[in-house]
Formats: sequence, C-alpha cells, structure tokens
Amino acid sequence: MLQAHSFLWHYLWVAPDVLLLLLGVLMRRRGLHRQFPAFTAFAFLGAVEHLVLYGADLAPWVTPQNFWRIACAGLLVDIVLKLSLIGEIFSHLCGAYSSIAKLGKRVIQGIGVVLVFVAVGAAAFVQRDNPSWLISGEHLLEQTIFLIESGVLLSIFLFAAYFHLAWSTKTFGISLGLSISACVHLATWAVIANGYMRDQRALLDFLNMATYHVCVLIWMYYLLLAREKSPRASLVRLPEHNLEVLNHELERLIHQ
Amino acid sequence: MNLAIVLVTTAVLALGIILRLAVVRSLQARGNTGLDAAIRPIDVEAFRNLINPAEDEYLRRRLPPAQYRVVRRERLRAMAAYVQVAASNAAVLVRVGEVALASGDSRITLAAQEVVNDALLLRRNTTVALARIYLALAWPNSGFAAVRVIDRYEQLSGAAMLLGRLQNPAVPVRLSALQWM
Repeated sequence: MLQAHSFLWHYLWVAPDVLLLLLGVLMRRRGLHRQFPAFTAFAFLGAVEHLVLYGADLAPWVTPQNFWRIACAGLLVDIVLKLSLIGEIFSHLCGAYSSIAKLGKRVIQGIGVVLVFVAVGAAAFVQRDNPSWLISGEHLLEQTIFLIESGVLLSIFLFAAYFHLAWSTKTFGISLGLSISACVHLATWAVIANGYMRDQRALLDFLNMATYHVCVLIWMYYLLLAREKSPRASLVRLPEHNLEVLNHELERLIHQ
Repeated sequence: MNLAIVLVTTAVLALGIILRLAVVRSLQARGNTGLDAAIRPIDVEAFRNLINPAEDEYLRRRLPPAQYRVVRRERLRAMAAYVQVAASNAAVLVRVGEVALASGDSRITLAAQEVVNDALLLRRNTTVALARIYLALAWPNSGFAAVRVIDRYEQLSGAAMLLGRLQNPAVPVRLSALQWM
C-alpha cells in the first residue's frame, strides 16, 4: 500500500491538485480572486505544476534527467508563487494597522534575509544524497525553500500574536495551511537532502503528499465554508476601585 | 546527521508553535469577555517621577557610586514592572478596539481604529523601552529615557476615553477610569 505507484500514491499525488484547481475555480466564481490574487494564482499554477510533474513521472518518454529538470523548473515557479503569497498574507494581516505595518514589513524582511543566509549555510553543510548534481540539487533547493518559508511564516504568526493582531478567517486559513505544509516538508526534505532513510523514501513521499492533501482541505474549509468571525461588541467595564480613586481626585480638584 | 536532526527539530518546534498560536487565536475569537478585568491600573505620575532624569542625576551626585548602582537597579526594576503592565494593558486595548471595530457605528469605528493604532504603537514602544531597561540594568551608569512610553500611554488613554464615551454615553464615569489604567 505504502509503495510508489500504488493506488494510494496515485490518489495522494492527483487528488490534492484536482481539489486545488477546483478551489481556484470556485474562488474565481465567488470573486475571491480579487481579494486573494496571489493565492488564486498559487492554486491554479501550483496544481498545474504538480500535475505536469505527475504526468512526467508516468510518461515513458520522459527521461529521469528531464523529470528532474521539470521538477527544478517547477520549484523556481514555486518560489515566485510562495513569495507573492507570503506578501499577500502579510498585507492582509497588517494592512489595517498603519501604525505597525512599516515595522512589521521591516521585521519580516529582516528575518527573511537572515533565513536566506541560514538556508544557504545549511545547504553548504549538507552531505549530497545522490551522485547526480541535478537530483541532489533539487533536494537541496527543496530544503532551502521550505526552511525560508517556514521561518518567515512562523515570524508572521509570532508578530501577529505579540501585537494581538486580528486575522481574517480566510487569511488565517491560508497561512495555517501553508505553514503546516512548509514545516512538514522542511522536516522531510531535510532528511532526504541529507541522505537518510534511503530505503524508506516512499514513506517520506507519502507523508509529504498526505500533508499537502490535508492542507488543501484546510484551504477549502477556510476559503469556502468558514464564516468570518466578528467579535461581539461589548463595553469596557473598568475596575470599581479605579472609579472611586478617580472620583475622589476629581472632588478634591473641584473643591480646591 | 546533525544538520538533519537540527532541521527536523526546528520544523517540529515551528509547527508546534504555529498550531498553539492557532488554537489560542480560536479560543480568543470565541470569548472576548473579561477583557475589562485584564486592564490593570498604572499610577502615571509615579511612573513619570521614576523615569525623571533629574532625579537620577540627583541620586548620582548624592550617593557613592556602588550605592547609586544598587538604587538605580532597583528603580530600573520598578520601571520594568510599570512598562510590563503598560504593555499588557496595550494588548488588552488592541482587543477592546478590535471588538469595538465590529460595532458598525462609523463614529465608534473611527475611535476604535485610533485606540488600536495607539495601543499598537504603545506596545511597540514598551518593547523598545524594556530592551533599554534591561540594557541599563547591565550598565546602570548609562543614560535612559522612557518618556516616549509614558507620552504614548497618555495619548492612548485619551483615545480609549473617546471610544468609551462613544460606546456608552450614559456612563461617563467609565471614561475617566481609563485614564487611571
């Protein structure tokens, strides 16, 4: 069951991408593509990219070399899509808060730059897992991308939590799915790129594909089903003893 | 193997933190009650005296260096306690403002927006101020000023008062109470 080219393997590769395409279509129909253009592009292009890779894996005329070339090209597209998606998440999160939007942008950009250096450093210390530079290079690129992506997303979550920023339900869903996917993929690609679990690669592939499937379901739930939570308007009731102190001070002031 | 272990551990930790924050966020979204109780009073004048550079200068001139450092550290710890309360109040006021933003009344929305922005600025300033206080604890002879924090705090109190007045004009006493946060 947990083997390459098993039914489950085919399902986990194809189903999430078909669902993601469907999500993209539904987002367009509901006009959500205007609100989340980067995520809509990610849904369409990401799904198509994975399906092309699936086709290349099955097609007998595609050589292994060409398969890895296609995988690398797909990763380059992924970088652009994910960068714009993270930018979109950040602008949705901080757009309403003019007082800290600039600070947030600087902090996240700074963390991004540091993460690039860390990821390059990590790549430099990796023991190549494959004699072919194309394959080991693709694995390294995966590790590098997911290291930066998960770090930036974590810092966005921490920034929002520290300042108690309110997430919109849809932005939160997109960020949550992307973060879960990035963290799990970072762990698996770190193991693969460093040449471990060679005999159990299929298991890691299944873990990656299953996680991606869960994340697509998360995106579908938050973007199509979940309602925007509006906090109940309530009054600020203040401690009684403060009122007494203030009233006392005001009386003293009046009688001076 | 070491690098792989480090990266896997990092990924698991990051995932754990993100999931925890997600749970906290959903719990907060469900219950916004009890925000009022989370606001703790601050004696603004006492804090202003504590951060007055003239008082520090007076103590520096009057006390032997070793004793001055001890006193200065105690004053810095007290300052840190005040700033932490201000930061915590700012966080509560961000949530209060967020709740008020959903009211639908344009005047309340404007006032709430102002409270949220001022509270966020205050929270940013308290972070910087705390960093400077802890630095000053290591080097008590260095100069330090937290004046911007207290100015921002008073500005925030004014914005919160306006929001309180708009939310409940019938209870004017609440407005003044916020000044004593």
